[in-house]
Amino acid sequence: MRERLLDVEDLRVHFPVTRGVVLRRTTGVVRAVDGVTLDVREGETLGLVGESGSGKTTLGRAIVGLVPPTAGSIRLRGVEVSVLRGRRARRARSELQMVFQDPFASLDPRWPIARSVEEPLRLHRAGGRRERRDRVLDLLEVVGLSRRMADRYPHELSGGQRQRVGLARALALRPALVVADEAVSALDVSIQAQILNLLQRLQGELGLAYLFIAHDLAVVHQISDRVAVMYLGRIVELAPAVDLYREPMHPYTISLLSANPVPDPLVEAARERIVLPGEPPSAAAPPPGCRFHTRCWLRERLGDPEICRTREPALRETGPGRSVACHFADEAAASPVARRAVDLAGGRT
Amino acid sequence: MTEPVLSVRDLVVRLSTGRGVVHAVNGVSLDVEPGGALGLVGESGSGKSVMSLAILRLLPRGGRIASGQVWFGGRDLTGLSPAEMRTVRGREIAMILQDPQSSLNPVLPVGEQIEEAIHAHERVTRRAARARAVELLGAVGIARPEEQLGRFPHQFSGGMRQRVMIAIALALRPRLLIADEPTTALDVTVQAQVLELLKELTDEVGAAVVLISHDLGIMARMTQRIAVMYAGLVVESAPTRELFARPRHPYTVGLLRSIPRIAGARGALVPIDGSPPDLERLPEGCPFAPRCAWRIDACWSANPALAVDAPEHLVACHNPAEPAETAVGRPIRPGFAPSPPPARREGVA
Repeated sequence: MRERLLDVEDLRVHFPVTRGVVLRRTTGVVRAVDGVTLDVREGETLGLVGESGSGKTTLGRAIVGLVPPTAGSIRLRGVEVSVLRGRRARRARSELQMVFQDPFASLDPRWPIARSVEEPLRLHRAGGRRERRDRVLDLLEVVGLSRRMADRYPHELSGGQRQRVGLARALALRPALVVADEAVSALDVSIQAQILNLLQRLQGELGLAYLFIAHDLAVVHQISDRVAVMYLGRIVELAPAVDLYREPMHPYTISLLSANPVPDPLVEAARERIVLPGEPPSAAAPPPGCRFHTRCWLRERLGDPEICRTREPALRETGPGRSVACHFADEAAASPVARRAVDLAGGRT
Repeated sequence: MTEPVLSVRDLVVRLSTGRGVVHAVNGVSLDVEPGGALGLVGESGSGKSVMSLAILRLLPRGGRIASGQVWFGGRDLTGLSPAEMRTVRGREIAMILQDPQSSLNPVLPVGEQIEEAIHAHERVTRRAARARAVELLGAVGIARPEEQLGRFPHQFSGGMRQRVMIAIALALRPRLLIADEPTTALDVTVQAQVLELLKELTDEVGAAVVLISHDLGIMARMTQRIAVMYAGLVVESAPTRELFARPRHPYTVGLLRSIPRIAGARGALVPIDGSPPDLERLPEGCPFAPRCAWRIDACWSANPALAVDAPEHLVACHNPAEPAETAVGRPIRPGFAPSPPPARREGVA
């Protein structure tokens, strides 16, 4: 088994909801991340799937230090990073980098791309000017851009090229973990495939670990070793990718698989879909008991057991490397609905 | 054979920007059958959205239809006066956009917006329009519709706003609905609801649909026929099942090989090299030639016309992919190599 690189334990990130400009008062709390425990091992890709409001982006930002955690711990190779200050904090930060969905918004439009890529090197005082320039040119080559592009500006590049620049910048400080937040979602499919292949090649060459955040189940399947599914601030299921897509155990995972459009007209014609009612509730007022119970298709089939409305299920281990947070995970996994969703997502009609 | 609802013939659209002229649509012909659903697939810059705006004569400033016809209900829409066009829009052809936020008036309650749409085209009493609005909101799955009439767009979630847009679009039982990436901004479980609703209601109203999307899974689910667009041209057009089973154009093959799938063993994606052409400087030959693995010498000099390849199946290609090649995503012919660019052959810059 690979070494553990990152350990997140019972992490909470809450944001106050405020009212008023002059007399600012707190009227509530958004529990964006509400008790998340997970680990990432050296050189692996952990996929993180969830819908808007699931807290997946906030979790990623908290890990790289962009938002302060409210409670819980984030350890990098056993060292707590959220309490570090000064040089040691910078050292730890340099190992945790992030790539964003919209590379255009994360690059300074007035800077040639070489300067954007160099910026982290300057901030961390890595080498002299000549050395830094050489390193920048090397990095551009590593991400598949020609050295001649160094002096171009972001608006002169295509979306795919900009995403490569964002990646070069994230790699500048030789990170151990890159958090990729919807890094390919805004790209056209042909370009998306280029970037996914690039991410996989870099992982092999540089031994990187990824926390790959996305809403697209097929994209996550393509790149992940393990997958965590988030709903309303919590992880509801975590499993090796092979198991999660072959034998999903949480009713939410099953409904995501069922909703996912499959690029095959024969499969789509044969499909009955579980259409979840409503939309995810607000993270400012998560439902009591199991957070998913208000939309759960299984609860009804089981005759509305009281426990779903009263007790929040813990994430419990169900097999090697697998855990799920559902009182009735076995029933969910065994249901014909789950089998059908898996068969269809897998293209078996 | 039945008369198509919409017949676009040799449509050419130019967009003048401050810097130059964008060749957005370069001679597109297509037909939409009554009650059928035609999918327009393509990447950004393929011209699919500009074409739908041109059909409705809603081109942005600087945009104009340079030539071609849009036949609808026995009339060429390109020749109608602005007043005549206004009665066609909404009443006979409705449109749904990706971002309902931008199509709804933020300071008007949704009930009034639906009533307004009805009043704009039909002479009915206020009370009757209101009753229709309630009925429509109910039909698109909005609970307690009477109570929702007075609410403003921002008080609805993205999925609910898209439902309101569908209610407005179908209020007048149009014969054609143009939906441009209607679910791209929505979460996958909400997307499933909205797609289901669209399918149900357009069947009920008997409206034909032009669905624009980059998502081949949605296309597989929703359409009977697909036109693949590239650089402002239709490069392939076929019944949906035929297109997925026997794609002929190398670009279509590339798209199908670029999308990650959950089905089967996880293999490397085969992306399309390079990026889409600059629409201000289109090449002389086939616009896809620089990215194409199947290109032959003719591709650099002559843009192939869309021609019948098999019954119902049109393709614009000098050297289409063979069935065995679509599975691997590259040509497999002894001794074949893509034709080098003419500049390199002749040694001219």
